Amino acid sequence: MGMFSESVDVVCSAAGLPVSLQWAGRHYTVCADPVRWFERRQWWAEESRAPLGTGPGLVDHEIWRVQVRADPLHFDSGHPDRPGKGEVGEETLTLDLSRHLGSGRWRLLRIHDALQPRTA
Amino acid sequence: MTFTHLHVSTAFSAHYGVSWPDELAQVAAADGATALACTDRDGLYGTVKHLKACMVAGIDPIVGVDLAVFDDDGDHRTQIAGRVVVLARGHNSGAGYRALCRLVSDAHARTSGKAGGVVPVAVTRAELASRTLDPKTLKPVLTVLIGPDSDVGRAMGGRRYLRPRTLFKRWLEAMPQGAMVAEVVSQLSAPGSPLSTAHAVRMLKLAEEHQVPAVLTNAVRYCAEDGAATADVLDSARTLKSLPELAAEPMLQPNGQGWLKPSGQMLQLGKEIIGAAGYGAADLKQLMAQTEALADLCRIDPVTDMGWKQPVVPEASVIGISQDPHLELVQRCEAGIGRRFPGVSGAAEKDMRSRLDHELGIIRSLGFSSYFLTVAEVSRMIIDMGVRAAARGSGASSLVNYLIDVSQVNPLQHDLIFERFLSQDRATLPDIDIDVESAERHNVYRRIFDRFGSERVTLMSMQNGYRARGAVRDAGMALGMDDADVGEIAKQLWRFSAGKFREALVEKPELREFAGRVEQRDFAENQQLDLLVDLTERLDRLPRHISMHPCGVILGDATLLDRTPVQPSGLGLPMSQFDKHDMDPMGMLKLDVLGVRMQSAMAFAVREVIRIHPSKAEVVAAGAHPMGPEGTGPDFIADNGHINLNAVPLDDEPTYDLIRSTHTLGCFQIESPGQRELIGKMAPREFNDLIIDISLFRPGPMKSDMVRPFLEHRHGFAPEVYPHPDLKPVLQETHGVTVFHEQILKTFNVMTDCGLARADEFRRALGNEALEPKVEEFFRKEARAKGYSPDVVDQVWGTLKAFGSFGFCKAHGAAFAVPTYQSAWLKAHHPEAFLAGLWEHDPGMYPKRLLVAEARRLGIPILPLDINRSQAEYRVERVTEGPDRGKLGIRLSLKGIYGLSGAELKRIVAGQPYDSLADLRARSRLSKPSIKRLAQLGAFDSLHRESGGVANRADLVQHLQRMQSSGTARKGIEVIEGQLALPLGDVELRNVKPGLPAPTLVDNVRAELDLMAIDASGHLMDSHRPMLDRLGVTTADKLLGLRNGTEVLVAGVRIATQTPPMRGGRRVVFISIDDGTGCIDSVFFHEAQEQAGLLLFGTRLLLIRGTTRRTGPRGISLSATMAWDLSRVETLPFPASRPETTDVPHPLDGISRSLAITGMGG
Repeated sequence: MGMFSESVDVVCSAAGLPVSLQWAGRHYTVCADPVRWFERRQWWAEESRAPLGTGPGLVDHEIWRVQVRADPLHFDSGHPDRPGKGEVGEETLTLDLSRHLGSGRWRLLRIHDALQPRTA
Repeated sequence: MTFTHLHVSTAFSAHYGVSWPDELAQVAAADGATALACTDRDGLYGTVKHLKACMVAGIDPIVGVDLAVFDDDGDHRTQIAGRVVVLARGHNSGAGYRALCRLVSDAHARTSGKAGGVVPVAVTRAELASRTLDPKTLKPVLTVLIGPDSDVGRAMGGRRYLRPRTLFKRWLEAMPQGAMVAEVVSQLSAPGSPLSTAHAVRMLKLAEEHQVPAVLTNAVRYCAEDGAATADVLDSARTLKSLPELAAEPMLQPNGQGWLKPSGQMLQLGKEIIGAAGYGAADLKQLMAQTEALADLCRIDPVTDMGWKQPVVPEASVIGISQDPHLELVQRCEAGIGRRFPGVSGAAEKDMRSRLDHELGIIRSLGFSSYFLTVAEVSRMIIDMGVRAAARGSGASSLVNYLIDVSQVNPLQHDLIFERFLSQDRATLPDIDIDVESAERHNVYRRIFDRFGSERVTLMSMQNGYRARGAVRDAGMALGMDDADVGEIAKQLWRFSAGKFREALVEKPELREFAGRVEQRDFAENQQLDLLVDLTERLDRLPRHISMHPCGVILGDATLLDRTPVQPSGLGLPMSQFDKHDMDPMGMLKLDVLGVRMQSAMAFAVREVIRIHPSKAEVVAAGAHPMGPEGTGPDFIADNGHINLNAVPLDDEPTYDLIRSTHTLGCFQIESPGQRELIGKMAPREFNDLIIDISLFRPGPMKSDMVRPFLEHRHGFAPEVYPHPDLKPVLQETHGVTVFHEQILKTFNVMTDCGLARADEFRRALGNEALEPKVEEFFRKEARAKGYSPDVVDQVWGTLKAFGSFGFCKAHGAAFAVPTYQSAWLKAHHPEAFLAGLWEHDPGMYPKRLLVAEARRLGIPILPLDINRSQAEYRVERVTEGPDRGKLGIRLSLKGIYGLSGAELKRIVAGQPYDSLADLRARSRLSKPSIKRLAQLGAFDSLHRESGGVANRADLVQHLQRMQSSGTARKGIEVIEGQLALPLGDVELRNVKPGLPAPTLVDNVRAELDLMAIDASGHLMDSHRPMLDRLGVTTADKLLGLRNGTEVLVAGVRIATQTPPMRGGRRVVFISIDDGTGCIDSVFFHEAQEQAGLLLFGTRLLLIRGTTRRTGPRGISLSATMAWDLSRVETLPFPASRPETTDVPHPLDGISRSLAITGMGG
């Protein structure tokens, strides 16, 4: 399992569930029901201010565990020239994404080994 | 759909809940909820506030508690299995609420009531089960919610898969049918962890499997997400661990989702849980419906369930009355007339009778006769105990109170108005406060419990909220900051609310250095300081714990404990979980029995006078009392020398001389720097002047500049002005200035004929934004109708409006003025006994050492500690030798010596006298450090002299030090019972080897300050004298001789620091210092505060430059321009012509233990 903190673009359904995402130049589709929870932050170490009225997102952030499959390259219109990755599209990846409650920005937190059984 | 939150902690769950009941009720109502629960941890601390908040928000209250349950398998005294929520069912004439109260009291019954007790607040499952059923109907009146924090919920994270089911079944077996539900909570934490959806699903399935209803809650700790960080800090304060430590354990809440989610989100949560359980839409509907069904069952009717605003007083039979209580009251008043008004007749009798009829009529129609009889019973009981007692407060306005001996003030004589105390228009139980000797207060409480029965009496509690210092300490601890660092910051926080910390950083000079550190954001440490400020503000005002209220006793009938839960107080007596704000809503009769140290000090003084002068003739001679027509002295002194202070006439000239001299240190109410200034200006001549003085010295009158015009009129500098001749009788006693509530009432009445009862309602409405305009309209209309000119109406309304809600009730002033006069009388006539009483009971605002200095100033010998003469109390003693021979002195007490235990003290006194150190060791079994400390304080000096030894105190201390460190000395000679020690004299003392230089005065004073917090052998400033002379310092006794506006340097030890509220809102700091010749009061205005900065609050010894301000014939104070720390010699402004010399040793050097030496702290 790797730890990351990279920005990703996520497209959500009307109900607020992630449907697809754009990461490292590739487009992925969510292929199973995502699991969501809220995880605490070490806000006292990460923040320099915590005044009353800070609002959501100081103490925790929203985590989504999504199973995604990369789209076949020919759908990936953003990078028509990138060669030789077509077969990867069959493999599923389990990713933990975080959404900041205040700003709504998404970041990639962890990539789980595809062979590792999911705990949830 | 609406959703009802059934599990909500308010801020009154100390160190747990974050939000106030009214915030929660407002938010719930705004979301469309029709009810809201309050389930504070361990008690009903927020319940009454919750009721009030729900009534304001227009929703139904639900009441319950979040309680720990003992582990049936573990140690029943200490081990907790988990926590459950218990809700009271409503609309059953209080059966549910009653059971809840009793259950909460059960949970506290085994605790000690002291901090750090080992027994937790918890109930056994059996207690819980039995309380759920109403004893009369045997139907369930409580519902128990088994949720995520129960043993069932906690077992879900464990390895034993079947464990939760086993535990759940145990609950089912233990609880009566229908008394239990499963509480399903998901705070959306990480899958499989506590408060996760997975755990919620398991709870839901357990409920399904056993056909127990399940309800959905969110286990709320805060109103909105923003409160989560505050909850983290509270967790840290509760567990005394820093946030990083808690996060590592992990013991913090898993995330920040425990907020009062709106119904839409709760439904969504329900959907997620149902979905994850694999159930369908019907199941979701059922979960939500069951939640609402339980909510409906638990809606509380404040009136029929909890007795909202229905006064309850003890049954007449308890106070020994078999007839109609009102008839009894009438008879007792009649009996009182003979005692209080002997021989009254004519117009005086007519006035008195009509006043009495008037009062009795109102009391009867309000149905408060039993209340008065109850108070009279308590009052009589206290007096029978031989304890000094005095009613205070508006109760002194009542003739009935005077006649039944509750109050000592004659309301007719001082023109006090009954309506200020009680009226037809105000149906709340009035307050009667009784001041008793502080040292006897706990005994009085116990007697009240004995007298009325423990089922009818409980102590009132008070909520202690975070203030700036406590908040910054706990915020610092949460952040894991260094204790000493945080302590340093906390020390600089001076009386402002934690909620204004950041604002204060900008404004207050003493925080300037800290503010600078916060601003340097480059360093990680300073980022932490920024957070520290934010977290401190978050903690502002949040309740920390409850404690015994300093004076409130709740009296009720036999159902009292059905209406309030109780828990042990530190005193051992039960204490209600309700505070003073809850009394009126809950119809509870509260009596304030206030321990007043001054009453103890005066009682002590009276006893000392008898001890030293055991006959009337001796007392009369010693106190220079008038001989009277028969030449035998006044009636208030009994033959055995006992002085009846309450009978002392209020016109004693030497007493007023003393008051006018402003040497009033130690006198009740008039010893503060501000009061000494005021009496200096006012020069009181009679008792009414004291009433006015006390009433003027209040924040309101001081702030609104009422004092200056009053004094100008009084001294005839300016003519008295009355807005209209009709008001002259009302305002004459205060020279046209409105000072008393009573005058406001009369003004309203004179100008509008509204009657005094309505006038008091009007007075209460002043300053209230909503009500005041109506009062104004009425006043203007009616006054105009009575023919007052528009000018007069305008002017009088201006006064009334400015008066607002402040000003003072004259009855309070009159009640206060009595002990003020009595203490001044004692100081004038029996100063030695009075000062001994003050030292013993320490009643005032100053460090005790200042009152020792006052004795020195009065020429009263301070007799040193002596192992054979000092007792466990200060004692007045006739000096038998030396230059003071024949004078009365005060012998220092053995009590209050650092490190000397109470048991050691008792043994010393029991064994006196001692003929040798060996004798002392053998019979008092003192520890070696205690013996050494006594030696340092000179307690063996006379024994030493008598032994004929040639060594000095330093040699003796060294000898004892050696014995202590070598540890070889025998513990003491074994004494066989009945055998007398041989009278050999003290061989040990005689043989102490001389050689060391004798300790200097500075050494001795330092030891006294360090070990007793007083400087007895000499004033602690004495050693500074040479340096002060070089600086050109003026002493306090010389100030009065200087012209107004003279620039001077003064120096002394700080005795008081005050920041009273001021006109215009700008802070003014008053610092008083004592230099051995008297007190110097200095005032620091804004500029001077800027100059002095950190010195303002952090320095014990001060050098102050300022200009003199003459305040009256005998009063002078200083307007400061600059201050220095006297202990930092290099910074002092020595005259250029006289080079600075090296520092001299000072008694305070190296002492950091006792802040009580100086006027810092608090």
